[in-house]
Amino acid sequence: MNLKKYFALTRAGILESFQFRLAMLVMVAGNLLYLIVVYFLWKAIYASSGTDVVNGMTFSDTLIYLVLATALFNFMEMYTVWEIGRNIQSGKIVLDLLKPMPLRSFLFWSYSGTFVTQFFATFLPTFIIVCIVTGGAVPLGINLLYFVISVIMAVIINYSIDFMTGTICIYTESIWGINIMKQVIVLLLSGATIPIAFFPEPLKKAVSYMPFQSIYNTPLSLLLDGSPKAETVLSALGVQAFWCIVLLILSNLFWKISLRKITVNGG
Amino acid sequence: MSNIIEIKNVTKEFKVLNRREGLKGSLKDLFSRDYKTVRAVDNISMTIVQGEIVGYLGPNGAGKSTTIKMMTGVLEPTSGQITVNGNLPYKDRTRNAQEIGVVFGQRSQLWWALPLIESFKLLKDIYQIPDEEYSSMIKLYKSLVDIEPLLHKPVRQMSLGQRTLSDILAAFLHNPKIVFLDEPTIGLDVSMKSKIRTLIHALNKEKNTTVILTTHDMGDVDALCQRIVIIDKGKMLYDNDIEHLKGFFGSYRTLKIRPDGDIKVHSAALENELDGLSVSVTSDDEWVSILVNEDKTKVMDVLNVIQRSRAIRDMKLEEISTEEVIRKIYEEGVK
Repeated sequence: MNLKKYFALTRAGILESFQFRLAMLVMVAGNLLYLIVVYFLWKAIYASSGTDVVNGMTFSDTLIYLVLATALFNFMEMYTVWEIGRNIQSGKIVLDLLKPMPLRSFLFWSYSGTFVTQFFATFLPTFIIVCIVTGGAVPLGINLLYFVISVIMAVIINYSIDFMTGTICIYTESIWGINIMKQVIVLLLSGATIPIAFFPEPLKKAVSYMPFQSIYNTPLSLLLDGSPKAETVLSALGVQAFWCIVLLILSNLFWKISLRKITVNGG
Repeated sequence: MSNIIEIKNVTKEFKVLNRREGLKGSLKDLFSRDYKTVRAVDNISMTIVQGEIVGYLGPNGAGKSTTIKMMTGVLEPTSGQITVNGNLPYKDRTRNAQEIGVVFGQRSQLWWALPLIESFKLLKDIYQIPDEEYSSMIKLYKSLVDIEPLLHKPVRQMSLGQRTLSDILAAFLHNPKIVFLDEPTIGLDVSMKSKIRTLIHALNKEKNTTVILTTHDMGDVDALCQRIVIIDKGKMLYDNDIEHLKGFFGSYRTLKIRPDGDIKVHSAALENELDGLSVSVTSDDEWVSILVNEDKTKVMDVLNVIQRSRAIRDMKLEEISTEEVIRKIYEEGVK
């Protein structure tokens, strides 16, 4: 496989995001604002609970988890669903379909440049600040390697779910409601807004059979675990790998079937 | 000379929901299974030879774009078979894409925020164009049009004409065997239109690229196409060379003038004055229209006669439109 054509798209994505300097600044500022809200919200939750440890997590554990979850979200969110929806509605999808590579790859790699800029603009600074502020609460060892592997699989899972949701637009020709629903489900059940440790027992069990927690909970747990046991790591990565494969196949299949239904607007 | 595109008895049907009126109707539509089948393309067959420029004409909604989308592999024909360059475009869309280029007049495949040169570099990598081929293509472009000022301009800052020009260059960049141009001159001024026609013509000559051109502008057809295919309501109406079609629109042009004074009076007088020039004169409230066959009569001669005895306040020269040609074909039948 010739990777050059894919990395060319990554490069263009980076160039494109530099064109919109102000948007990047707003991004960073919005991120900061959200984190302040999270801080005061959970401070209030802990203050009203009366104990220092809720569901096995201290205030600083929870905060570190949520801050990093937000950073991860900023970097992983691809807005693929909007993109596919908009392109189907406007008919631009024709031009995307006529690139000499599968649409799925074309969209992914077109967006991948933003991964790189977001990683340096939001994730890395947040991570460094958290490390410094908490004074070593985030372990820096072999767990970083597990984290990286886990994030790569999380990106694939997240993208597959997005791609499937976008495909629905071929049938509905409208995407707004579907995407909002998808976002709420993913953010809640993946542990991005509330740590999964806080879920009631039945929901926790239900979530463990779903792919969503592999997106945020798994990589963050691996990152924050300073002395990982081999079996915990292997089972966590194993489950992720399982969902990666299942969702890759499912989303591809769904797309192939749906493409037969496509009627392109315009002209 | 080999056939690059073969279309055999191709039909495309769409299922469309029968929509009802009003709020109540829209609510009912939510649960409706009442579909009707629309036949966008109806049993079309043609073969296209490498290096041809084919004008693909028809009124809006005739099925032109649907045919093009089937040839490019975006849509699957309901029945019949299409082979493009030996591939079945729907099955091998990605492979087919490597050998074709497309320009849709209303949309751009260029990267909106980036300077044109970055889009070119990107396409070079995506289509895996070898370095020498790429630089010889750029050299060719530089010899044909003045692209230097465009190369470093972000696409979003370009005028429509510049953008269309850039899109056409981008479509030819990987030296495809076939380029589909869907209304490339739509919304452009006269000088840009002629620039784009010259460019398409030169690229077709230089690279022997097959060009399929849809347009509503008979000027495009006249300047570029050796062969015309006309469809209407999904059915093929005409497939022959342009000389043959000229029997229908010939070198006819309509000269419209608005003289000082009463139009009816002038019109009657002109009929007498222009008697020897074999033109036909009609008039409405605003204009005196003179249909001139340029094979027989020069428009200048007609104007000379008119101006001899009256002042012309306003005048225009109109080409016969595709719609008029189609109407004439319907009226007179294909000879």
